Order: sequence, then C-alpha cells, then structure tokens
Amino acid sequence: MKRGASARLLAALAAGSLLVAACSGDDESTDGTTAETTAETSGGETTVADTGGETTVAETTPVAEGWAVDTEACIDPDAANAPIEGEIKIGSAMPLTGGVAAAAFAPVKGGFEAYINYANENGLLGDMTVSATIEDDQYNKDLTPGAVSKQIDAGVHLFSGIIGSPNNAAVRDTLNEECIPQLNALTGSPAWGEVEDYPWTTGILVPYTVESKVYAAQLAELYPEGATVALFYVNNEFGQVYADAFKELAGDYNLEIVDEQTIEATDAAPPTSQITSIAAKAPDVVMAVPLGAGCIGFLTELAAAKAQNAGWAPATFITNTCASSLILGAAGAAADGLYTSGNLKDVVAPSNAEDPAVKEYLAYMESQGLADIAATAAAGWTTAEVTVAIIKQAMESPEGLTRASIINAARNFEYTPMLARDGVVDKMNGSEDAFLAESLQVLQYDFETATFTDIGELITEFETS
Amino acid sequence: MKTAPFTIKSGGGASWAIRLVVAAALAGLALWIPTSASNGLIDSCITALTLMACAMALNLLLGYTGQISIGHSAFFGIGAYTTGVLVAKYGWSPFQTFAVAFVIAFVVGALVSLPALRIKGVYLALVTLALGLVFPQIIKWPKLEWLTGGARGLDKTGFRFTKDNPTYEIFGWNPWGTLRGENVKPFHYWIAMVIVIIVYLACRGVVKSRAGRSLVAIRDNETAAAVMGVNLAGTKALVFGLSAALCSLPGCLSAIRTGNVTPDSTNLTVAGSITFLIVMVVGGAGSLWGPIVGSVLYVFVTEITGDWSNTDSIPGILRPLFGWSNTPPGTGIFAVLLIVLMFVAPFGIVGMYRRLQARVVTVVPKPAGTGTIAAPAAAPVEA
Repeated sequence: MKRGASARLLAALAAGSLLVAACSGDDESTDGTTAETTAETSGGETTVADTGGETTVAETTPVAEGWAVDTEACIDPDAANAPIEGEIKIGSAMPLTGGVAAAAFAPVKGGFEAYINYANENGLLGDMTVSATIEDDQYNKDLTPGAVSKQIDAGVHLFSGIIGSPNNAAVRDTLNEECIPQLNALTGSPAWGEVEDYPWTTGILVPYTVESKVYAAQLAELYPEGATVALFYVNNEFGQVYADAFKELAGDYNLEIVDEQTIEATDAAPPTSQITSIAAKAPDVVMAVPLGAGCIGFLTELAAAKAQNAGWAPATFITNTCASSLILGAAGAAADGLYTSGNLKDVVAPSNAEDPAVKEYLAYMESQGLADIAATAAAGWTTAEVTVAIIKQAMESPEGLTRASIINAARNFEYTPMLARDGVVDKMNGSEDAFLAESLQVLQYDFETATFTDIGELITEFETS
Repeated sequence: MKTAPFTIKSGGGASWAIRLVVAAALAGLALWIPTSASNGLIDSCITALTLMACAMALNLLLGYTGQISIGHSAFFGIGAYTTGVLVAKYGWSPFQTFAVAFVIAFVVGALVSLPALRIKGVYLALVTLALGLVFPQIIKWPKLEWLTGGARGLDKTGFRFTKDNPTYEIFGWNPWGTLRGENVKPFHYWIAMVIVIIVYLACRGVVKSRAGRSLVAIRDNETAAAVMGVNLAGTKALVFGLSAALCSLPGCLSAIRTGNVTPDSTNLTVAGSITFLIVMVVGGAGSLWGPIVGSVLYVFVTEITGDWSNTDSIPGILRPLFGWSNTPPGTGIFAVLLIVLMFVAPFGIVGMYRRLQARVVTVVPKPAGTGTIAAPAAAPVEA
C-alpha cells in the first residue's frame, strides 16, 4: 500500500501546516505590530472630540462645486443615485485566518468594528445607524471576489478598509462597474490614485512613494554632502513599490545606493546574510522596508552587525509600518535612534496619556473588552472613523445619502481624524488630489523612554493646500 | 462472507438508470447555479471548481501514478502568468492564452519529471517542493521584471468589458448578455466549468485506458510494471507533463477572474500546493470523484465557518467548541477532519463511501469481453 503510506505522510504534514496556520491567527498580541504600523502609515481621518463628556464629530468641509462621479457609466445608474435610508451597511474583506497576515491584521478588524459601535452609540449619523460586516479572504486575492459578492448580495452600500493591494485590485473592476464605493483601501499603493479609470476606489494610507520622498528629503538634510545608502526591503509588492520610488529619487537628493538586499515576507529567519552584506559595504544610511515581525529581526541583526563592525554607525530609516511601540519595544535597544515617520498619535506614549482623543479612544476600547489590542487597532478605528465622516458629509450634501454622493463626498473631503497628530489634515480633491493622507512627521525613536521625538516640522508639502 | 442485500449489474438497466439520474441532477445543478444562485454562491462555486481542477490534475499524478508533487502551485502559476503576460503585455485575448499555458506547463512538467525516473517517495516530494518554492522567486527575479512585473505582479490581466464593449460573443452568438460588474460571475463560472470538464475527461480518458493501467502498475510495483513492458520513463514524463498542463488551466482562470497576478498569491506558493493536496486526499486519492467531493467540502466548510469569529454566528450546539476563537475556525476544522480521515478512511471520503456502499449493494462487473470494445473475431477453424 505505497499509495496509502505516502498519502498519509503527506496528509499529516499538510494537516500540521494547516493547524499552524489556523492557530497563528488567534494571537492578537503579536499581530498588532503590523497592524499598528499600518495605522501609523494610514493617517486616517476621523475626528471625534470629547468635550467634557459630550461627543461631537468634527465638521467635514463639503466642497460645493467639486468633482462629481459620472453615474451614466454605471450598470444601474438609478441604483447608484437611489437614496439610502435607515441603516447604511459597510462591507469589508480582511485576512482573519491564514497565518502571518492574519496575525498581523486581526486587530484592524477589532478597531474598525469598535468605531462602528461607537458611532451608533453616540448617534454620529443622526437617525441612521451604521453596520459593518467583515469577511475573511485569508489575504488570498482569489477569495476576495467571493467575500465581496457575498456582501453585495446582502445589500451593503459601500466597502471600506479592504486590506492588500492585490485583494483590492481583484474587486476593483466589479465595484467600479457596479458603482459601489470602495473606500479607504488599506494599502499605500499608488494604484489607488487612478481617478479616471477607477473613480469609485480610494485609498487611506500615505502612498509609499510619498513616504520615500519624505525620507529622501530628510536624508538630504542630514547629509548635505551626499550619502551612501543600503536598501533592505521585503520582496513583495509593498517592498518593491517602496524601493523603486526611493531609487528613483536617490539621484535628486545626492544619495548613492551601494547595496540592495531583500527578504521574503514569509521568511521567519533573521536576515543575517543580508545584513552582513550591507555591513560589508559600510553605508552611511540603511533604508529598511521590512514587514511585521520582520521589522524586529531586521533591527536585531543590524544591531549585531554594528556591534561587530566598530566604527560603523549608520543612520537607520525604517518604514512607518514598523513604527509601533510594540514592534520597536520588542526590538529593544536595537531600535534606539532609528528614524521613521507617522501621522497618528502614539496611543500608548505617556506624553499622550492626557490627550482627550487618546483618552476617549482607550476608554472606549476598554469598555468593549478590546484593551489588549488598543495599541494596535488604531488603524481600523481610524479607517472606520473616516468612513463614517464621509457618510456624514454625503448625508449633508444636496443629493442626500446615495452611493454616488458617498464617493463624491470622499473625493471632495477634508478632515482631521481624532487620533491624528496636530496639524494633520487629510484631503482629497477630485482628480487633482487622489490621495487622502499625505502628511507625515519624521520621528526618531528613543529606546530609554520608549517614545518618539519629532524631527523637524510636520511635512505637509505633498498634501493639497 | 457476508453478502450485500442488493445486487446491481454493471451496465445493466438499474446501473444506467442510476447513472442517468445522477447525471441529470448534476447537470441541473450546474445550470441552476449560474442562472438562479446568488453571486456569492456563484463565486464560491468558481473557487471550488478551481480547486477541483487542480486537485484532479494532482490526482492523476499522485493518486494514480504514485508520484508525489508538492510543487503543483508552480504549474498553476505558469498558467496565471502565461495569461497575465500575454494579456497585459501583448494584448492577447485571454482565451487564446489557455493553449499556450497548456503547452508551456506540459514541457516544464515533463522536464521536472526527469528526476522522478531515479527517485521516488519523500525525495521526489522534496524535488517538487523546491519547484514550488523557486517559482515565485523566478517571477520576482529582477532580470525578468520586464516580463513578469517582479514582486509587483501584473495588472489588468482579465477581460476588459466596458460600457461600449460589454459582452463576449462566440461567432456572433451572445449567450451572456452584459458582462460588467457582478454580471461577469456566470461567465467566469462557465469558464471554470469547462476547465473542470476538460480536466475530468482528460483524467478519465487516461485512467480508463491502457495508459491508465500502466500508471496504476507503476504506482503499485515499478519493477513488475517494467517487466510487463511498461515504458517507465516515457509514461512518467507523459503523466507528469499532462498533470502539469491540466493544472495550468485553472491558473489561467485565476488571472482572468481577479484581473491581476502576483507571485505571492496563495495558490502560486507552496501553501497552494498543500491545499490542492489536502483537497485531493480528503476527497479520495486515486478516485475520479475524490477531488470533486474534496473541493466542494473544503469550500463549504470554509464558507460556513467564515463568520464564526462572531460567537453569535456559531450554531448553538457548536458554540462551546468554537466560541473561544476570535478567528474563523474553518482551516482548523479541515485539518482535524483530515487527521480523523487518515485513521478512519485513508482513501478519503469517496473511499469510505465505496466501503459503506459495498455493504448495501454489490456491483457485479461486466463479464470480460462484453464492453464497448468489440471482441476480436474468432479465428477460423482449420479443417
């Protein structure tokens, strides 16, 4: 019975890997790292201010004569312009199972749903209620169309916070042809700026290209005579977009790229050989774009390499998807002095403990039994907050609340999320400014105090005025 | 020996009646889904059909020939990338890419089979595992980025139905209507169904033929098969190539369906290979129906449990078992099911069904020489 033996052996291996994948999705504490990072990048936009126990939604700024979508291109223009009454249903697809990705993004769901509850409890949409259903697509783009179809069948009015570039791209055609708003894609791909081809699709994270520019500009300030740079990035769509953008800019800022190393997103081993290669070139700067737990591995290996190469002390810039206190805390002293960026407040920083918005957020998360993921769920919270703010603006528009008025509101939008850093104003303005969040603050991490120090002013030059 | 209470003659009236009823029911179901089911169900069926085709292709290799492959995700990827490159870079019609993908995957599969001539078992599994691991890396190779898009992948790899060009006609015949938005689902469903039918017929044609008996002979005892005149090298290369080529077809569909291909897509990585393997083993390796049952069950379990992260969605009786989990337990349930099946039904669900069926019904095979192939004429009797 050769066949039976082989099959059983393989089946046992396969079952083991399935179980590992299934179990890994349950651990929220580790996942949070990536999720929080995502939050940092996103710089969402909801604004709820707590004024002495009274909760108010910050005013959005409707644009009277702004960009308007052409509903004649829709399959059913009447449905796109039909009034939405009673309850507005939001759909989404996120990786809730499936291993590393699920572990990283699970808190986003918790934060998203918490804000939806918050909006209903505080009557942020007046007489209307808002609900959210989040389907599991396992971070597998082949499963996203099914997850989205199921929700369209259930009558959702818009989608928000779908995670992953390929996953969003997999349903982009369908949602644009059906004229269902696909808001706040939780990725920083520049692809979400194609207003002409995909008017119904918007992103919420700072585009990776903008983040690259921010770091390049900061490097030019630190090294006016020019500098040598080693690039280290995760070998997937996220890392490559980021690295390509940086490489394109390097010449303009007198930066010479002397080494380029990658790591696979699924590779759990520390990047020892990659860092050894970088150390051999002794660059002035290491520009790193790892992902999730890879951030910790990178920082630890880099610290070890620095210890072994006396005199080599490169400035380290790391993507803000790593800039959570959980990740950097786990990296310990290896994270000391690194540069990153962000546009949301660090909700666990002692300096923000008395911030009214942070207090409100933490108190609500605790009341929902989500205190353990509060530090990492801000991305989901902010995404939902921005979505609700867009809906509110659409309700107040002359057309009333329709799918078309929602996307019109989204593309003519100005808002400051409650957890945003001071001075951050997220804007979209039709095809002139197709990206919501483009303001960033360069930060430096201090291991001793486990806090970030602002470096320079908030960079808002990429945001429309 | 205990005999079953009922007896059916293979090829007899009762046998044909059962076959006709089952065929009619399946055809009715296949027609009902795209015409009357919800879009969500249609999409789930497309996912199941995709897995079905992959598991069938793998079954031909592993179930019938005994050659282990944990690298079939690479062949799926060859299909996806052939369609992706030809559509996105060269403007081909997606349908034209299927044949190209089939040929490329066949050649690659036949080449990969070369080590299989010398090694087997776990060692062959490792070779194919390497193939599965290296495929995404080749796609990401910077020197091939101009063609594959590197780690970014390729976009706009499916049909582009627009307001001015909203449908697909077959020689002037338009059976689909408008194919924009959710209306495209039935179109994708029929592509998936045709792929499954092609893969099934190909597998059935091989398995029921003399070649199929050679495969089983190789699986059960290579030496004996060689002694009996089976060309080991040729047969292995052929079946590996055919299995790879068949597995590329659902890959083409994947590129069409989602409109993009990336090297990190689950089905293009080893995780995809493992899923194909699990689907096949749970359904029943070495059985034509095994992958069909396995894929439907896999999608059914993951769909049903998809919202079980919310305790209220779990049926009351199961709540104590799964209420603690804050993530959908579908993959965990399937893993446990797999382990249990290996103990109680090592030949999968179809194998278990056959065992139980044998207790109720005895199927009497047709006497030798009474099949559809005419018996050779008797030699003239010499006077």
